[in-house]
Amino acid sequence: MKTVGFLFSVVFLFSLEVFSATTIQWWQFWTDPSIKPTITEMVAEFEEANPDIEVKLTDLTWANGHEKIVIAFASGTGPDVVELGSDWIAQFAANGHLADITEYIVDDSAEFQGWGMATYQEKVYAKPWILGTRVLFANRDLLVRAGYDSIWVPITWNELKQAAFKVHRLGPDIYGWGSNTAEKHRLYKKYLPFFWSHGAKIFSDDGKYCLLTTEKAIEALRFYKELHDSCGYVADQRGIEDAFLDGKIGFIISGDWLLKRIELENRRINLASTLIPGLRYPGTSFLGGEFLAVNEASEHKEAAVKLINFITTPENQVRFCKANRSANPSSIKAQKDPYFSSNIHLQTFIKQIQSARHPPVNPDWVYIEDAIETAVEDALFGSGLVAEPLRQARIKVDKLKSR
Amino acid sequence: MTRSKSIAFVLALPWLSTLVVFWLLPLVISFLMGFTDFRLLVKEFQWIGLANYRALLSDRDFLQALKNTFIFVFGTIPVTTVLSLGMALLVNRQFKGRGIFRATYFLPSITSMVVIALIFTNLYGRGGYVALLANLVGLTPPENGFLYDSSTALFSIMAMDVWMSVGYYMLIFLAGLKSIPDELYEAAQVQGAGTIRQFFSITLPLLKPVALFILVINSIKSFQVFVEIFVMTKGKFDTATAVYFIYETGLTTGFKFGYASAAAYVLFVIIGIFSALWFLLLRRRQALW
Repeated sequence: MKTVGFLFSVVFLFSLEVFSATTIQWWQFWTDPSIKPTITEMVAEFEEANPDIEVKLTDLTWANGHEKIVIAFASGTGPDVVELGSDWIAQFAANGHLADITEYIVDDSAEFQGWGMATYQEKVYAKPWILGTRVLFANRDLLVRAGYDSIWVPITWNELKQAAFKVHRLGPDIYGWGSNTAEKHRLYKKYLPFFWSHGAKIFSDDGKYCLLTTEKAIEALRFYKELHDSCGYVADQRGIEDAFLDGKIGFIISGDWLLKRIELENRRINLASTLIPGLRYPGTSFLGGEFLAVNEASEHKEAAVKLINFITTPENQVRFCKANRSANPSSIKAQKDPYFSSNIHLQTFIKQIQSARHPPVNPDWVYIEDAIETAVEDALFGSGLVAEPLRQARIKVDKLKSR
Repeated sequence: MTRSKSIAFVLALPWLSTLVVFWLLPLVISFLMGFTDFRLLVKEFQWIGLANYRALLSDRDFLQALKNTFIFVFGTIPVTTVLSLGMALLVNRQFKGRGIFRATYFLPSITSMVVIALIFTNLYGRGGYVALLANLVGLTPPENGFLYDSSTALFSIMAMDVWMSVGYYMLIFLAGLKSIPDELYEAAQVQGAGTIRQFFSITLPLLKPVALFILVINSIKSFQVFVEIFVMTKGKFDTATAVYFIYETGLTTGFKFGYASAAAYVLFVIIGIFSALWFLLLRRRQALW
């Protein structure tokens, strides 16, 4: 009798183990009331479709989310699935914190954009979810007042410069150009589109040489500085957008969040959006985005990948973009959804992403970014020189490479 | 150990354990970390001796941050001390509505630094109240606001800090003034000493312990200035201070815990030297003033 009881207990415990759900942790940044319910719904649907997997959702904030992820990974308590900004992937991957998911993405690799940002040393460490780029926004009313046709937008640097100058001359509280102040993680993103559009590169193709002091890089910074000095309204990104929406600025570079603001705040502005101007049309914009990665230390990698694949399906991406007013799903199928083609501004973003570039995938990118940003800051707000700050930046980057 | 001592030890244990775990232990660990190249994301690290300290000596950002910190300390402490003493003398007099003045001056000290910093960010901004005031008195404010200009950003933050702290130190000086016996002033008056003589011969010497306390805590607080910088400028426009440098190095870009720990200990030593200096100066037999 005792033996039967013992066997029964063993079978019972074993069945508990077999039939209990696998719990995976997902850390993500979307806490805004407009999008959080969609995230929660998607998770609920995933759990319903996969009764053996339970998802525990944790919200992060942009203010300290990066720090939390770093500390969690360093202490071995990281989540199974984590949302990462494109700039962070190389840093985590190089230090062995992200799982190589190359084998899981073979089937659908052609269906998504943005793999370049998730690939480090030929291995894929994350799946692109929602991409992000910047376009040029213009206040059409100010352009018309400055003498331009009601459908005109600038497509070259010279056109942009002339139009910005003309708008700037309209009145004492009107500015031609929205120019970012020395804001960390923001300022360099405004310079790089001009840098790339002019054909400059951060590194040589073989990655051996830093090319921050080429004539093209210097000319791009000189052009950006000219806009800043001659007709810039200087503020942080939020301040620039406020002034733009108040009708004080002719041109700003911004992301899809501006469209969301206009809609949610019911702002009345005669808005034009166009691709980043370049010496040749179209110019190159900045490319970044949100990625989903699996923790190398996760004991449930397959379940984690399942969740990632579910969240990033074209249908779920369209759903996400509609709720969040995002413009750039990573899924190519999602990009063709009528939701994007029905809105002229969303179309601009979809087009811009075809000519957008991401920074080098480099574990030291945070330092390289800092060096470039310091150079731009010095040119705009410090010494006022252009070539010397870029030379200093190159020295810093060369030092990093020689470590 | 006697029974009563054992009980006292047991009762003190919760506090002692938190002191050891959350204060002493991190202090020792961060000291040791200063001799390593420990970075939070990198799994391996090495003992590199004094390399971090040597690197700090040639690190332009760190040296600039130290310079800014010294400007902040030497710019705010004398002004705060003199102003708070002056205000304490004023509100120590008998007049109607004295309580309201005291409470008003003290109010900024009990308000959150973040709240004050946000309010002042607006006041200092383009077209803000301070720019309007500057225009009224015929000065030209910086075009993009006081915080977006290297020549005014740090001084603007210092001015805000003085405004915020002066009420707190006023209250401490006021307590010091109350402790001076009235008989001393009466005796001085009988002997023909005027108000100024009374101030320099009675008030100031007897306020020495209070002044020492204020100088020490204000020095420590000023050397550790961080929140204002974080909220108002993020260390841009030549406003990065030593603690902001430590924060940026250790907790944001690159998470270099070893390097940041070394920088923290440099600051620790500087604060220690300054505190000792104040004690030495004010303990001297000859009056400082």
